[in-house]
Amino acid sequence: MNAQNDWRVIATTEQLNVARPVLAVTLDNRPYVLFRDDTGSLGLIGRHCPHRGADLLYGRLEDNGLRCPFHGWHFDRTGQCMEQPAEPEGSKMYTQIKVPMIQVREIGGEIQALISQSEALQ
Amino acid sequence: MISKQLNDQITRIGPGSDAGMVLRHYWQPAALIEELDHGDKVPVNLLGERLALVRGANNQLILATRIATIDEPATHYPASKDILIDTLGPTYPVAERKGILFAYLGKQKTPPAFPNFDCFRAPDSHVFAFKGLWQCNWLQALEVGIDPAHASFLHRFLEDENPAEGYGKQFRDKAEGTNMPITQVLREYPRPDITVDETKFGLKITALRHMDHGLTHVRITNQIFPQAICIPMSREMIITQWHVPVDDETCYWYTMFTSFAKPVDKALMRAQRLKEHSLPTYAPLKNRANDYHYNPQEQATQTYTGMGLDINVHDQWAVEGMGRVQDRTQEHLGRSDKAIIRYRRMLRAAIAAAAAGNVSDLPMLGPEAADITGPVSNDAIADTHLWQDISRNADMTRRAHCSWDATV
Repeated sequence: MNAQNDWRVIATTEQLNVARPVLAVTLDNRPYVLFRDDTGSLGLIGRHCPHRGADLLYGRLEDNGLRCPFHGWHFDRTGQCMEQPAEPEGSKMYTQIKVPMIQVREIGGEIQALISQSEALQ
Repeated sequence: MISKQLNDQITRIGPGSDAGMVLRHYWQPAALIEELDHGDKVPVNLLGERLALVRGANNQLILATRIATIDEPATHYPASKDILIDTLGPTYPVAERKGILFAYLGKQKTPPAFPNFDCFRAPDSHVFAFKGLWQCNWLQALEVGIDPAHASFLHRFLEDENPAEGYGKQFRDKAEGTNMPITQVLREYPRPDITVDETKFGLKITALRHMDHGLTHVRITNQIFPQAICIPMSREMIITQWHVPVDDETCYWYTMFTSFAKPVDKALMRAQRLKEHSLPTYAPLKNRANDYHYNPQEQATQTYTGMGLDINVHDQWAVEGMGRVQDRTQEHLGRSDKAIIRYRRMLRAAIAAAAAGNVSDLPMLGPEAADITGPVSNDAIADTHLWQDISRNADMTRRAHCSWDATV
């Protein structure tokens, strides 16, 4: 492991054993949302939609990602925007939109986030 | 994205602020007339100022400054007997229109004329007014109302209700000339083609949803400068809604529901809304503290938000979830935000004009304001190549058949 980084426990596997596995996480005063996608993989991404700031904690967990209920913008577990269904047909704007993402891992019933020291100091 | 400095400039409204100076050039909704039942002094928290409605000379209602502690909550609503007037503080004129008490907090000797909008000229029997509290800055509250795309998502019903049971509620009616509930049109055609035109009163926003079989759904909504919208609610009614700052982080919506043909069923409209709000602050019962009664099961099967069928709650969640003041340094506006971009440009131009003392450059501040009618707000479905005529005619027809003078 990189000496500049450390893994911090942010949740338990148990907490995500619910019908809709989506959880609010705060790291160094910044809001994130943790979710499990259709493949069972975890994503920890910024909680505010990069469009107009709506709260993704109430997002629709569907299509292998999290969808903002405000305008349907859809994000995968890396925070990459995959769809903007209100934008004109053929628009490629979504390829340029990404929510901050923090790497996570699941070990022995714990979910851990990789906190870089530079992040932690901010 | 915009800079923090610009975000502050267009959102902050206290005395001496740039956007606050623009708002102070216009009549502001200050209270519902029913609040006068509170007593001979009625607290009003408006534009960062702590005020009270009192009777001045000739028994005229005025807004006076009240003495308040610095840590008073934004919507503090003291008993009438506990209100102390600061006799050295400013006082402001008040005028009643259709159940709303408006106040003028500006510095001009004469307040501007009220425009001749439908909500002001319809008889009292045809207009119902109500208000509600949102825990966020006024600008993000306004911006959701000038964004025609969000209705296809935020207000999506995965199943339609019976339009016959939709009296007094948004989007439940059938679109003019069809059997399609508006909810179905919005759901099936989520990429509106939006055009924005500057008008004497603000902006006219046209959202076209091109449907199958050569048909187009036309929804015309309006931004009334500086902080109101005028939108269709049903074939019978339109909504005129102001987003009024209490302080930088709190606002009220004040709405006038204006009916064309029939008088408004005010008892029903009021009962529907009282069930969702607590007095005296008109705070919604569903709110951030109780997760807006969010239900994941409902979100999976019935509504896009999982927060019930009341579209006001959806809007409230959208704008409150951004934080008390949306951090616009992180936003990414798209084509669906065309009207928001135009509106911010108008607001910045008004800030510059007001700062330079060119008050007559601000919309609707001259005597001509009294002659401004409409605005036309309408939903219609039309043959695509005739949408302009059909949209206009649908609105003209309901205006022609109404008991009051609704000509435009």
